[in-house]
Amino acid sequence: MNNAENKYFHAIQILADNCTGCTACVRVCPTEAIRVRNRKAYIDPNRCIDCGNCVSTCQFHAIIPKSDPLDIINRFKYKVAIISSSYAGQFSEDISYGVAKQALYELGFDEVAEEAMVTDFMITMIREYIRANREKRPILSSNCPAVVRLIQVKFPSLLPNLFHQEAPMSILTRYLREKIAAERDLNEDELGIFLIVPCVAHVTAVHQPEGAYKHLQDGAFSIGMIYGKVREHLKKFQNNPAAIETFEKGLTWALSGVQAELVDTDDIRALSVNGIENVIEILSRVEDHYLDQYDYVVLRSCTNGCVGGCLNVENPFVAMSRIKKMIKDAPLKDINVNPLDELKKEGEFDVAPLSPRSIMELDPDIKKAIQKMKKINEFLIMLPGLNCSACGSPTCYALAEDIVHGKASIDDCVVLLKRHSKEEDSDDDL
Amino acid sequence: MAEYINLDPQYSASVESFFNSSPEAEVSLEFIIPEKDFNVAGKGSAEVKNLLKRLGIDPEILRRVAVASYEAEINVAAHSRGGKMVSDVYDELIHISFIDEGPGIKDIAQAMQPGFSTADDLVREMGFGAGLGLPNIKKNSDWMKLTSEYGQHTNLEFIIFFE
Repeated sequence: MNNAENKYFHAIQILADNCTGCTACVRVCPTEAIRVRNRKAYIDPNRCIDCGNCVSTCQFHAIIPKSDPLDIINRFKYKVAIISSSYAGQFSEDISYGVAKQALYELGFDEVAEEAMVTDFMITMIREYIRANREKRPILSSNCPAVVRLIQVKFPSLLPNLFHQEAPMSILTRYLREKIAAERDLNEDELGIFLIVPCVAHVTAVHQPEGAYKHLQDGAFSIGMIYGKVREHLKKFQNNPAAIETFEKGLTWALSGVQAELVDTDDIRALSVNGIENVIEILSRVEDHYLDQYDYVVLRSCTNGCVGGCLNVENPFVAMSRIKKMIKDAPLKDINVNPLDELKKEGEFDVAPLSPRSIMELDPDIKKAIQKMKKINEFLIMLPGLNCSACGSPTCYALAEDIVHGKASIDDCVVLLKRHSKEEDSDDDL
Repeated sequence: MAEYINLDPQYSASVESFFNSSPEAEVSLEFIIPEKDFNVAGKGSAEVKNLLKRLGIDPEILRRVAVASYEAEINVAAHSRGGKMVSDVYDELIHISFIDEGPGIKDIAQAMQPGFSTADDLVREMGFGAGLGLPNIKKNSDWMKLTSEYGQHTNLEFIIFFE
């Protein structure tokens, strides 16, 4: 386990001092990556997909998101922020999106770009990709990093179905790197590009991008942290807004349902799924070819898509409603995508084939795996089947597996312990 | 008692020796399939798939097991008075059998025809009953046997090899 410890970056940190060993996180982890041992939670880095469920669930401030501190931008001469679309949904309706965007310059950024700027380009690119890869059905969306990692650990046979092109914020990063470096005569290390993100999975993806060929971003800031810092500047711009260009029509990217509707067309049928448990169920059906009638499936780990990310401040439904209103009210805008098309032709947005991180097999040898399963079943029969997690493993099955792997003992079962002590008591009575 | 058997010829020797030696299963799973409960139907095959995933079975084989067992599970839920599913895992294969409480199949040959269905309105409303269940089980298994007598119960079993 130790040599794998540093193999995968995770934007989730456990503060052992705050952890009470309550096991709430253990029970909500969709990949069963968390165990409580010696009354402290521990995350298996091989299993964690950075979905953020544990972060949202922990009541003791013991599992906290890791994102970069804002002052790292000062290492760069020219600082660019790219805002994730869900940022637009965080502010009350008296604050215009333009003002929320304008305030970011006050934090020290020289340029602010929006994920929403490349939405139309992405939709076209996704459609072309689907048409060019008809033999793989359905194509699975790849811009939710938690979903990509989920597929790597739990559904490796579906890796070829992932949309193998960069996500919108990375496409924008590649474009801005070329454009700004040329315009301003900057070296690679003088230009800092940062993402303002709604979830821990995006922080992880910035620090450890899957399949990326090129230098992408230099850091990721949480929407919540940025929100705290821009608030004081909002009032001043509210009364005196500058003429700042915004791209509300492209904010669909934050909403999984709306994005699917945009990709859906005469020859492409799209399905939208959000919430990690729903995503797992759908992937299992995709695996069995029960959803081959779909050409494209939009998969987002969080409720309603990126607006549900654990680093947002607003409720996902309220944020979604605000963003939908902005999209509805906004004028159509033509964005020149020629430079993006050029970069695409040059292969700038290509992604290397993603490799599995499979956690499912008990053993590489089927016969040995069967023997392990036999042992697991033997322990499972002894266990009470309550799935109470009091032992620190999520279910009785997981405890049985942990025992067989030498990571736990049958004595960890609190219920059995209680039963045994009762039996001993009654023995004493005799 | 009517019977239908389908066997992929390349496995005829293996199937024969399996039944002759009647080995003890390494791992077994049993599921109750309640009548017309489509919320529960499908859980058994999902569990079997998860079990095989843990054993590191090839994804294509996994898919065939998942499809065949899901179709059979839905059949029991849709057409019978309920039944059970027993999955037995051996070193080289999985044997799954479905035994229901009746009412049996009138005409097995007809039941095997793609597109033939006796599904009632409730079942069709749930999106099942296209008449592809049994043909799909046949297509995805290496050996299958369907035994039934009208008025009695139905027994369906199939084998899928891991290699």
